Amino acid sequence: MNDQLQALVALQDLDLLIREAKDPERATQEEELGFPLGGVDKLERTRERLAKQIDDRLLQLYERMSRRYDRVVVRVEGSVCLGCFMGLPTAATRRVSDSRRVENCENCGRILYRI
Amino acid sequence: MPTAPFADRKTGAHLELHLRPTLFIPELKSRKKFPALEEMVAHLAEQKVARQAGAVLEVLRQREALGSTGIGKGIAIPHGRSTMVAERAVLLARSTRGIEFDATDGNPVHLCFLIVAPPTEHDPVYLQLLAEIVKSVRLARPRQRLLEASNFDRIRTILLGQLAHE
Repeated sequence: MNDQLQALVALQDLDLLIREAKDPERATQEEELGFPLGGVDKLERTRERLAKQIDDRLLQLYERMSRRYDRVVVRVEGSVCLGCFMGLPTAATRRVSDSRRVENCENCGRILYRI
Repeated sequence: MPTAPFADRKTGAHLELHLRPTLFIPELKSRKKFPALEEMVAHLAEQKVARQAGAVLEVLRQREALGSTGIGKGIAIPHGRSTMVAERAVLLARSTRGIEFDATDGNPVHLCFLIVAPPTEHDPVYLQLLAEIVKSVRLARPRQRLLEASNFDRIRTILLGQLAHE
């Protein structure tokens, strides 16, 4: 996985954590269990720093798709996109394996990775 | 230590399903919070639960930035959801010497339950697991028995027995 994809994965995970911390119901549940959820602003600063490491075009794509999907960066299993569960053409499946490239699902547009 | 309002009070079924002998570290080497988390995540990677240890560790670090998951009385329940987690899992690790975990009561942590899960937006089981673990270690006696237990089967019996009794 290339550096840009790694940074996108970190951004996606951080966005989920920030969403949960900002969700009043979720935060209350965690706090009642004994887990304080303060310092979201710290995470938002971390997000800003992380976003600066990502290529502008890729970041814009991620931000745009985040409005549509909970998870924008998804894994490919075999030749199936685990975002929309549609099969990818053979050539696209091969391109996902090339760690130098960032590939999108031809069906749903999500950003793909393979491990 | 807080109570567990969201636990399944009858069975503890979620914890039972997630306790696995392969996800048990009898004695952690590390004595500080982040090296201990690193050690646990490396174990998850060995067991193919974590696909990329670095990404999972980063999520746990960020979660700790929101507030320590060391909830006091020698217990920590670090938890996080990451794109690089293959399946929801609970790793149990012990430290008889104790880990400096920045816990709410300032005491070292002896029992650490690490919960990881994929980033599914709505996953009620994740919170229920958290609640069941909090409930299972609420009392001092079972906590002590967990530290003294000679093997994973014994630990499992103690944890599930505790959930069944309450």
